Amino acid sequence: MSGASTIEKKGSHRERAAALKETRPYSPCRAACPVNTDVQAYVGFIAQGRYNEAFEVIHSVNPIASVCSMICHHPCERACRRCGVDEPLAVRPLKRFALEQSTEYRRNKRHLIEKTKGKSVAVIGSGPSGLTSANDLADLGYQVTIYERHPVLGGMLAAAIPPYRLPREALKEDIDDVVSKGIEVRTGVEIGKDISLDEITSKHDAVLIAIGLSLSRSLNIPGVEGPGVLLAIPFLEDVAFDRKPDLGKKVLVIGGGNVAMDVARSARRLGVKEVEMVCLEGADEMPAWKWEVEEAVEEGITISHRWGPKAVRREDGRVKGLEVVKVLSVFDAERRFSPTFDNANTKLIEADTIIITIGQMSNISFLKDSKVKVDERGRVQWDPKTQMSSAPGVFVSGEVVTGPGSAIAAAASGHRSAMAIHLYLQGEQIEGSLPTYEKEKIADMPATVAEKIAREPRMKILHLEPEKRCNTFEAFEYGYDEEAALKEAGRCRGCGGGAVVDKNKCMACLTCQRICPYGAPVVTAWSEIRPEYCQACGLCAPECPGGAISMVSYDVREFRETLPAIVGSVDPNRKEPVIVAFLCTHHLGTAGFNLPDHVRKVPVHCTSRIDTNDLLKAFECGADGVAVVRCPGSSCKYKGIENRVAARVGQAKKLIGMLGMEAGRIELLTTDAESGSPYTAVCAGFADRIKQLGLRSK
Amino acid sequence: MKSGSNLEKVILSGQPAVTAELGPPMSADPHEVIKKANQLKGFCDAANITDCQTAVVRISSIAAAALALREGLEPVMQMTCRDRNRIAIQADLLGAAALGLKNCLCLAGDHQVFSSAGRLKGHPGAKNVYDVDTCQLVGILKKMRDEGLQEGGDKLEVAPKFFIGASWTPMGDPIDFRPMNLMKKVNAGADFIQTQGIYDIELFRAQMEKIRNMGLHERTAILGGIIVPRSAMMLKYMDSSVAGVTVPKPLIDRLNKAKEAAGDDKKKARELQEAEGLKITIELIHQVLETPGVKGVHIQAIEWESAIEGIVKAAGLYPRPTFTD
Amino acid sequence: MIVGSQKSIDELWEMTKDFKKVLVFGCNTCVAICHAGGEKEAETIATLLRMRAAQEGKAMEVDFTSVMRHCEPEYFEPVLEDLKKYDLILSTACGVGVNFLSDRTGNIPVYPGINTSFYGAVEAPGVFVELCAGCGNCILHLTGGICPIARCSKTLMNGPCGGTNKGKCEISKDVDCAWYLIVERMKKLGTLEKLAEVQPPRNWSTSRDGGPRRVSLEHIRAFEEQEAGKSDPAGGKK
Repeated sequence: MSGASTIEKKGSHRERAAALKETRPYSPCRAACPVNTDVQAYVGFIAQGRYNEAFEVIHSVNPIASVCSMICHHPCERACRRCGVDEPLAVRPLKRFALEQSTEYRRNKRHLIEKTKGKSVAVIGSGPSGLTSANDLADLGYQVTIYERHPVLGGMLAAAIPPYRLPREALKEDIDDVVSKGIEVRTGVEIGKDISLDEITSKHDAVLIAIGLSLSRSLNIPGVEGPGVLLAIPFLEDVAFDRKPDLGKKVLVIGGGNVAMDVARSARRLGVKEVEMVCLEGADEMPAWKWEVEEAVEEGITISHRWGPKAVRREDGRVKGLEVVKVLSVFDAERRFSPTFDNANTKLIEADTIIITIGQMSNISFLKDSKVKVDERGRVQWDPKTQMSSAPGVFVSGEVVTGPGSAIAAAASGHRSAMAIHLYLQGEQIEGSLPTYEKEKIADMPATVAEKIAREPRMKILHLEPEKRCNTFEAFEYGYDEEAALKEAGRCRGCGGGAVVDKNKCMACLTCQRICPYGAPVVTAWSEIRPEYCQACGLCAPECPGGAISMVSYDVREFRETLPAIVGSVDPNRKEPVIVAFLCTHHLGTAGFNLPDHVRKVPVHCTSRIDTNDLLKAFECGADGVAVVRCPGSSCKYKGIENRVAARVGQAKKLIGMLGMEAGRIELLTTDAESGSPYTAVCAGFADRIKQLGLRSK
Repeated sequence: MKSGSNLEKVILSGQPAVTAELGPPMSADPHEVIKKANQLKGFCDAANITDCQTAVVRISSIAAAALALREGLEPVMQMTCRDRNRIAIQADLLGAAALGLKNCLCLAGDHQVFSSAGRLKGHPGAKNVYDVDTCQLVGILKKMRDEGLQEGGDKLEVAPKFFIGASWTPMGDPIDFRPMNLMKKVNAGADFIQTQGIYDIELFRAQMEKIRNMGLHERTAILGGIIVPRSAMMLKYMDSSVAGVTVPKPLIDRLNKAKEAAGDDKKKARELQEAEGLKITIELIHQVLETPGVKGVHIQAIEWESAIEGIVKAAGLYPRPTFTD
Repeated sequence: MIVGSQKSIDELWEMTKDFKKVLVFGCNTCVAICHAGGEKEAETIATLLRMRAAQEGKAMEVDFTSVMRHCEPEYFEPVLEDLKKYDLILSTACGVGVNFLSDRTGNIPVYPGINTSFYGAVEAPGVFVELCAGCGNCILHLTGGICPIARCSKTLMNGPCGGTNKGKCEISKDVDCAWYLIVERMKKLGTLEKLAEVQPPRNWSTSRDGGPRRVSLEHIRAFEEQEAGKSDPAGGKK
């Protein structure tokens, strides 16, 4: 019963349709994100030039957004359904662009949050996980105190990740957001040394241990003790805090993971010309991200694959090099790590400094004699269903319990812990009430749909040239400029933003099935719009005679509701006509929508979703003329929409004709794609024609 | 004798019958009817009095028929299914019979949209009735006459005795069905048939052959329709737009030639075309009457009733037979 | 389904102009399918009326909503009290819905927001054709499945009139002659001979001519009444 509760139109369409929209599976990018960031939604906002709104989407689930915009391993991109067409969307660079564009907005938003709960929580460690928990708990109204052993917040983000990858200004934005909420920060305080866990426990109503993995593992080989052999984390800490260690002329890095890459590339930037890496794995087995390896090689770093460390050779106590032994295999038949060696095949790799980067562990010595139990392998005992340790009120999160992973995965763990602490402090059941991020995702794109999608190469991300970047810890990656960002954002197929049907309104009329260019709807007792087919073009929604179809993103009826605000008040003594211009945001390859004030712009994700009722509404709001400006057919992201849009414009002309208005007050226009500002000329021409027709008096 | 009408007598006599047509005026003035009746009297065996042809409001067929009868012209009243339900139809038939009318032609009637097709406003928004169709109407007349019963079954003390006619479009779409269409009307009780205007004599003869094979020509009197051509333009229009009428090109050419012979003189062009049109009419009358199974001709000189005299005479159909009761 | 078509805004304005609070009430079944009176069209009409009111300088509040059907009480009863908050309900249901609702809204008038056209089918998207006249006495088995009552301009029962022209009806080149279609269809079916029989005058009392019609199913109705404790169907006739 569609009208049952909606006759008194309470709230916006967005609110009314929210539950319905939740029934749609997530886009694969969103499902792949450890915190389910609505990628498609914020990319869509970017495409429309609505950067602050993009920020809101990102930040609503991710307090370390700027950090992620620089260093996230972006599982979203691997999940992107464009992989089946050409290349995945460049999600991380787009996120970076959105955050850089919204910096001012973000800073202005910061404010103290009232402590309404009257309870305090200690968060030990301020890495991704601790920061996220602190953020959430502050939002919930708790007094939060962060204990951090380093002089600055951020944990490994501040103390280990080299600044060429994560500029500290980016990290600062995230931290400032959290701290501005009114969090007590106690840096330079190491638990177990400066303060005991018991003391913390007694001061606070709950405690979160989010200390990550701050100890580097070492090797048990001859010669490892002594000068010239370093461990990764202390080395990276030196780098992070600008303490330049003396490394000699040649550095050898043991390990093939991402931290090893940070170490090698940092060594390179400290002026060491010759940096070599040695790892057990072959080139295709290395745990480091492929792009990290490629960038390291560009910087002149060499990698010796399939050699295992045997002994550190020294001469006069000084390191001479590393004796290595040939690796026969790294994994056993079950793909478990179990290296075998050819002991007859050894060699010496000369080096002045050897840095061991073979993994991390957490430093939990402070838990000795506490109520928090540690298992026989030295790991904190915890219950993943409640995020609680064996000690009531003491919670854990992040890599200290999950093991090594990504920053954003640690943040997800932080969200869960914050909620667990909240429930605990409110005396509510934790188990079953924590957020989960395992969500149903839209299936792979059927071949019949993929072939209908135009190939568009991914926008290149530019790097500082290798020769230059080796000399500096400055960020080596350039962000997108606006033109590139808009273009790249336009590549998003909007998988998650597609159509959903309100079964209470659908009368199975077949309209959507008939008009969908991708064969997504199947109508039986009602229409099912198959998400894996749906390309979120929006063509169906305005056509639905029952108003049963909502778009998860850029819903037609939602933006109709915003029209009065966009048009604003119309000056009865105006000289220039008020033009409402619906602008296609795709494939424009241009920066901004710079138009004079009297042209009220409504960026739309393809003109296909404009309804006749939107055009009428614009007139109702006082427009003198309404322009629908589409991108040229050649660059149209969707196929087969032209005639539909033209028909709706024609219908609107007829309807305003019934009110005695000239048909010329509505036009369907095409942008000048070649121009740097493709809307300017067409809108100006249209405004002139409207001026000829005259301004509407009523 | 079923009705005792003059037309029935002529047909029974075996002589070729001649009917003509009289269109009543769009006015309450009886003189137009009287004038036309006098133009036709003596040159045909009976004259159809059209029933609001092309759905234009005119003096009703029954009233105009009564006026014609007063002038000594035997009328064939027309009854369309368009304007009356079976109650009105039967009431009017009783009244018509009481006024002395003896022939009735049953028609579906032109659709009311025709009333505004020309220069008139007409009544395109009228509601049509079609309670019964032509076949059913023929059946009603027959039932009243032969069984003395109303359609509903009530008895008639005095039955109306009509010579029952129906129209037939021998060359109309769907052409395969037209013989069956005629058969249904004959089966329903049609005593005589007036056909749509014939120009394509070959096609007409082919259809008549089928009719003869069905024996229908023995069960009803078929009067071939002749529409007097007045201009090339009229023939072209009839060919392209009038249902069931095709005009062979040579006929149109003949009128075109006549028109061209007059040069720019419009009056002369009309006269020459009318003269040629009359020649064609005579030829068509002969061709139709020579067709086996045809019992006469129905000549329509639309809004040109004065031409009938000359046509009938020129065709050798004058004088018309007379009968003493 | 029932096919409707839109009324002009002038006509709707004449109907509504003296009311202060108007609800355009869509019906989301038949008339939605034919894009005449579903929720989308209700919104269009509401917008046009508001704009017209602004042009005329009249204060008028116009909302819209819809339910699945106006012809079954269960669909609109949940919103009935809300409906009564308006001065006028402009129903974009078919005439059935307008009538039905009208009987149930107390002193709130229900006016027709669209024209109810016919029973039709969707010949192509956006093209609706009349195929049945609801005469109450179906003879489609005699006419090759093509209805002469709905589709012949003269409802002829015994074959075409003389107006068939190139397969089209005399009223317009755009209208098929139903009898042409019937004959062609029956030729194809090999049943043309069936048409030779003269169909007698019809009994139109099953159609509109018999007065407003009603179908009352004893076996359903009695059961419902029994459920409601009103009568005992086993007890037989009333």
